[in-house]
Amino acid sequence: MNYGKRIFLSIFWMLLGLTLMGCHLAGFMEEFWSSMGFALLVVGTLQVIRQIRYRTNEEYREKFDTEAKDERNRFIANKAWAWAGYWFVLIGGCATIVLKLLGREDLMMVASGGVCLMMLLYWGCWMYLRKKY
Amino acid sequence: MKNRIEEIRKERGVRQEEFAKALGVSRQTISSLENGRYNPSILLAYKIARYFEMAIEDVFCFDEEV
Repeated sequence: MNYGKRIFLSIFWMLLGLTLMGCHLAGFMEEFWSSMGFALLVVGTLQVIRQIRYRTNEEYREKFDTEAKDERNRFIANKAWAWAGYWFVLIGGCATIVLKLLGREDLMMVASGGVCLMMLLYWGCWMYLRKKY
Repeated sequence: MKNRIEEIRKERGVRQEEFAKALGVSRQTISSLENGRYNPSILLAYKIARYFEMAIEDVFCFDEEV
């Protein structure tokens, strides 16, 4: 994505955030949407600041590009996602058993559903990647 | 996989920052490679060997135990 598109997207998030906050203040929406709007505004603003810094500061641009392309960083990022997935399934599995023992059927269903969804996603990704590589 | 990156780099008097910049990677990556904590991709291994004007097998030593 080029600079123009990135800055356009960041401004879009800011405007969307402001709109959601405005709608809450006008009484059209619940507070949840206002909080989400605030989060979008913060993210959009930070992105704009980062894009401007990237454009104007050559040293930062060089450092940013190197970090983004660095193969060890990509390796670490992939590994971190894999670990996060393993831990999610393990914790979800344990939570399912504990919640069942405690008689919290509603929460147990949420935990077991999360684990099942994760396993389905893993299976889908594995099948896709097996064909791709 | 063991390597001689640190040894060769120091022999040639190249700083880690300079080496990292030439390869387009971060200084931390060079440090991890030298400490043996990270094994490079074949592409990076090739770039390293080419930077030193050496063959890949002269920089990296295959070790079955690792």
